[in-house]
Amino acid sequence: MSVAWIGSQPVPLMDAVRNAAKLLASSRCPVFTLDADVHGTRSAIALAERLGGAYDHAAGDLLAREVALFTDHGGMFTTPGEARRRSSLIVIVGEIPPAHHELLQAWADSQPDLGDKHKRSWFHIDGTEAAEAGKLARKLKATPLRGDRLSLPAALGVLRAALQNQRIATSLTNVDRLKKALTTAQFPVFVFSGTSGETAGLVMLQGLIADLNKTGRASSVFLPADDDAWGTVLTSLWMTGFPPRTGFSNSLPSYDPGRWDIQRMIRDKEADLHVWMSTRGGETPPRGGKIPLISLSKTNSPTSGAKITISVGKAGIDHDGVSYSSRTGTFRAVEAARPSQLPSVSNIIGQLAQALPGQKALPC
Amino acid sequence: MLIHLTGGEVVDPVNGATAKRDVWIGDGLVVDAPKGAAADETHDVSGCIVMAGAIDIHSHIGGGNVNTARLLLPENHRAHQPRPANTPLSNAGWSTFQTGTLYAQMGFTTVVEPAMAPYTALHTHLELADIPIIDKATLAILGNDDFTLSLLRNGKSPAMLDDYVAWVIGSTRALGVKVINAGAAAAFKENVRSFSLDDTVPEYGVSSRKIVKSLQGSVTRLGVPHPLHVHANNLGIAGSADTAAATIAATEGVPLHLAHLQFYGYGTEGKRKFSSEAARLAEAVNGNPDVTIDIGQVMFGQTVTISSDVMRQFSAIGNASPKKTVILDGDGNGGGGIVPYRYKQDYYGSLQWAVGLELFLLITDPWRVYFTTDHPNGAPFTAYPELFELLMSSDARDAKSTELNATALGLTTLASVRREYTLEEIAIMTRAAPAKLLGLKDRGHLGAGAIADIAVYRKGRDIAKMFREAALVFKNGDLVVKNGKVTHYRWGKTLHLNPPPDKAMVKRMQAYHEERYGLSLDWFTFPDSAIQRPEPFAEVIS
Repeated sequence: MSVAWIGSQPVPLMDAVRNAAKLLASSRCPVFTLDADVHGTRSAIALAERLGGAYDHAAGDLLAREVALFTDHGGMFTTPGEARRRSSLIVIVGEIPPAHHELLQAWADSQPDLGDKHKRSWFHIDGTEAAEAGKLARKLKATPLRGDRLSLPAALGVLRAALQNQRIATSLTNVDRLKKALTTAQFPVFVFSGTSGETAGLVMLQGLIADLNKTGRASSVFLPADDDAWGTVLTSLWMTGFPPRTGFSNSLPSYDPGRWDIQRMIRDKEADLHVWMSTRGGETPPRGGKIPLISLSKTNSPTSGAKITISVGKAGIDHDGVSYSSRTGTFRAVEAARPSQLPSVSNIIGQLAQALPGQKALPC
Repeated sequence: MLIHLTGGEVVDPVNGATAKRDVWIGDGLVVDAPKGAAADETHDVSGCIVMAGAIDIHSHIGGGNVNTARLLLPENHRAHQPRPANTPLSNAGWSTFQTGTLYAQMGFTTVVEPAMAPYTALHTHLELADIPIIDKATLAILGNDDFTLSLLRNGKSPAMLDDYVAWVIGSTRALGVKVINAGAAAAFKENVRSFSLDDTVPEYGVSSRKIVKSLQGSVTRLGVPHPLHVHANNLGIAGSADTAAATIAATEGVPLHLAHLQFYGYGTEGKRKFSSEAARLAEAVNGNPDVTIDIGQVMFGQTVTISSDVMRQFSAIGNASPKKTVILDGDGNGGGGIVPYRYKQDYYGSLQWAVGLELFLLITDPWRVYFTTDHPNGAPFTAYPELFELLMSSDARDAKSTELNATALGLTTLASVRREYTLEEIAIMTRAAPAKLLGLKDRGHLGAGAIADIAVYRKGRDIAKMFREAALVFKNGDLVVKNGKVTHYRWGKTLHLNPPPDKAMVKRMQAYHEERYGLSLDWFTFPDSAIQRPEPFAEVIS
């Protein structure tokens, strides 16, 4: 089975690596779309630094929203483990990605063993934009908190006002039930994700939680829209000091979510080479832009439109690795579930670096 | 490879008086002068001071909270000066790569991250493994977790606590144990807003004192070389000196290390009810040989406070500058708060600055006082050169004092203390004593058999410049810094203890995690191979 292609022609892996290295070496502005475990990400960032490139994650737009909550505001958070054990009142905020539904169901099936230890009750606040959110809420038997034609940020604003007993022109359904539940819950937790809404809404949520903490306790659990993407954020932070949408010029990294938006750079013809990674398989690179593409993806056929395709494995399936997990809110060592011959992103990028002029190994 | 350093003034208090003598390096170790063998490499270090590589026992250089601070404050990273471009990722702001570079350039070769939450140990070690050049170590946090508190509440045997502590140290690859505001993080989850040594955690009915004493006992019985590292209650508040004094008095013949004592050096005198109690605390330390302390010196300027003392950090939100913070109620010993802060030369900042210096100067035994800024809480570690100058020159202190708040300084003894640290005392405080405290027999001195971690400083009137830019630095015998710049990259190791786990405790841990978190134990533990660097760890045999 082929693992490397130049255009649509199967080639030995080393030929693909050499050709990819040539493209990299001649590029004036390579951009990297990341989608790998911690070690693949470390290698890719080190390569981007060496080549003076820029990087983002495949889920860049959603990730930028999640990152902005922290870079612009901050907030109060707790871990999934602590919420499971301590919180008898959970408020789901907007739409939570399906990948996390099993986790929330597991909380629903368990009883808090710390704090007030009351039977867990569930609420769900959403807005007009959250079409899919209702299914999960029904499964969890969550009491809806909803306003008349209110967006989620607006509904959160109304809820915040209601909890502060401020007089406002509108209200949410069941808000009195939530108020009552808050009087007995010692550690209420609001669960949100980047899919829950725009950053402004997330900031409003944090304001609401800050209000509650003036006299009692409350916190939030952040379930990233994409665990691998959040792992990339954390890795990028320790490697460069910045989250993704970082670029290197004169080996000095700079973070600028507008300037280093990879899709924008491709669209606006700033970039002249795109290194696209996709270890989850079954994905295609985003359309738009006609610059050469190097694809490092989990595939058994050449990526459409790619000058070079190299098939790579996924950490936790094809090879061991380290991934971020929302189950624990931190990194986890993952063993290969179905070990395969597919190389890791980190391995391929290491080979690419060695094939560049100078043949210097990467620091990661 | 035989390396010869010739003509230097060797400051190595462990092995004798300061004197001009040659130092030889063979295969990464300090060796006696070989008879008849010629050096492969000779460095003329005439006019230079030669010391062992420095060791920082308390600096927040990696892990979840440090990384969250990076996320919260991208603007802080931009403020860093660009570094030389000849090393990978060396320009990368407040990154792991720059941490190793900057420490090495100052002659530091081993640094301890003192606050590793056990559940995020893998994250911490991934970061530490990406810090180049230097060796690292961590202290695992205990004392706020349900398991410890339940053992104490239920009156379980000290032996069971010992087994648990040993399992945590081993599974997290730690070099020791730290307790942070014992019990307060657990109490804060139940809306307790202040917590002192004899307050109890509501859920468990266990006092902070009981937690500290129990962990202190375990660490001692297990033979962990580093005494229990204690971040006491009431950090940063007026009157905290009483808490520190009570903690010091509670040692009862068992060793204990009290972290960043400066932040507890405050009384309630004066118009602002915020005064120096440094002299009293220094006397308490001088009179109690069980106690070692580090300072946590404040220097002026922008920094960010990073602490797992979540109760304290929550109370500091109002002082955040800029106005954004992260507060995390973590699992057990995890969590904490990130609060950016600017130390101003006003009354409060001036007093804190003076309290730190008073403690440095009034605690008489350099073997029991350690050089830290609690990076980045009192100041970034890059402020160390200026701090060395303040300790070694009373003129430098006087000059700085003229810029500061006179009322605050008037409530301290600083102006009357004329002590100046000698190079020997600096070598003890930053080399020999930390090695002893951490149980690292292979470093902190330049005797034959020590690893060749060596810092060479060019003597000059400008003390800060001397310590900012080491003339030469060797790490395990590799020349890594020349004229204050990194010239060679290598990867250090993370030093750790490896107490054998008790089988019954491992089973208990498996059951506990499955029952309480719904997850098998392997979600919380990791193999060395997860780090993906050759031999990332080195076991310290105690």
